[in-house]
Amino acid sequence: VAVRPVVELPDPVLSRPARPAAGLDPPARRQLADDLIDTMRASPACVGLAANQIGVDLRAFVVDITGHRKARSCHGLMVVFDPEVLLAHGPVVAREGCMSVPDLTGDVSRASEVVVRGSDADGGEHVIRADAFEARAVLHEIDHLDGLVFLDRVIGADALFHRKIYR
Amino acid sequence: MAAPTLFAISAVGRDQPGIVAAVTGVLVEQGCNLEDTEMAVLRGHFAMMMLVAGHSSLSAGDLEKALASTAANFDLLVAVRQVDITAVDPTPGSPWSVSVYGADRPGILHDVTAQLSEHGVNVTGVETRLVGHPGRAVYVMLLDVTVPPTADGDAVAAALAELGGRLGVECTMRAADADVL
Repeated sequence: VAVRPVVELPDPVLSRPARPAAGLDPPARRQLADDLIDTMRASPACVGLAANQIGVDLRAFVVDITGHRKARSCHGLMVVFDPEVLLAHGPVVAREGCMSVPDLTGDVSRASEVVVRGSDADGGEHVIRADAFEARAVLHEIDHLDGLVFLDRVIGADALFHRKIYR
Repeated sequence: MAAPTLFAISAVGRDQPGIVAAVTGVLVEQGCNLEDTEMAVLRGHFAMMMLVAGHSSLSAGDLEKALASTAANFDLLVAVRQVDITAVDPTPGSPWSVSVYGADRPGILHDVTAQLSEHGVNVTGVETRLVGHPGRAVYVMLLDVTVPPTADGDAVAAALAELGGRLGVECTMRAADADVL
């Protein structure tokens, strides 16, 4: 298990578009996928992680929303390299936090239905249709790969909140 | 280096371009760093609330003096006081949002927050607006609250809905959990 430290703001790797992962050789690709999965699993509340959140400047992310109460579609563990959004519609506002943004949450509008093309850890091509919470998670991670965090999309100056300590 | 001193600064005046730049310009000159701030226009008046860290040698009186000419230029009422450095969020619990709206009458915010306080619910944010036409004024309130682990959010929500019925206003409370993605 390779749990990597999660990069936080203001690290510039979070604010730059990540590079395509297509040229990565198969073992390195597998390694990156495993690191992302292990790091995501290490934080109980974490349902997704982008490669630049572990300091790797490549277009890859993992999402697993299994068991989440807001889930509708659920593909289990998704590992996606070089994602491309083919379709996104039906904006919905919900509150998000991020492992890379300490202490804050914010209300963000995102599409509630999305179709994404990408490849898995072994290079196989997939087209994934996701909705509701899974769509939100996928779009949040793709934003990371484009150098955006949720702060770039908060709907207003009064839509930023302190993250609560749950006890 | 000595620990910085924390100041709470408030300023209110008729809204016009340049207030934020002028006030923060003075703070920069005084070597201060803005920490948490909220600023908003309330019925044409600009209200600023700032927590600002400054050198340990600086006093609240020094800052008020430094801000005096800007306050005069923009006709701002400015107050500065030194405050303790405390934790970011001392209230444990889960975040909920409360929305209230209805025909305006005195005491709505008081009645709602008194009910919340009875349940140990902490208010962390308030926005109210009086809208609509004279004679048909509508009062709108949005509250951010923290429900402590000792209270049941759904029970508080039910109590608020019942209170809303008695006051003749719509009163809803819903969980506002954030998902960590």
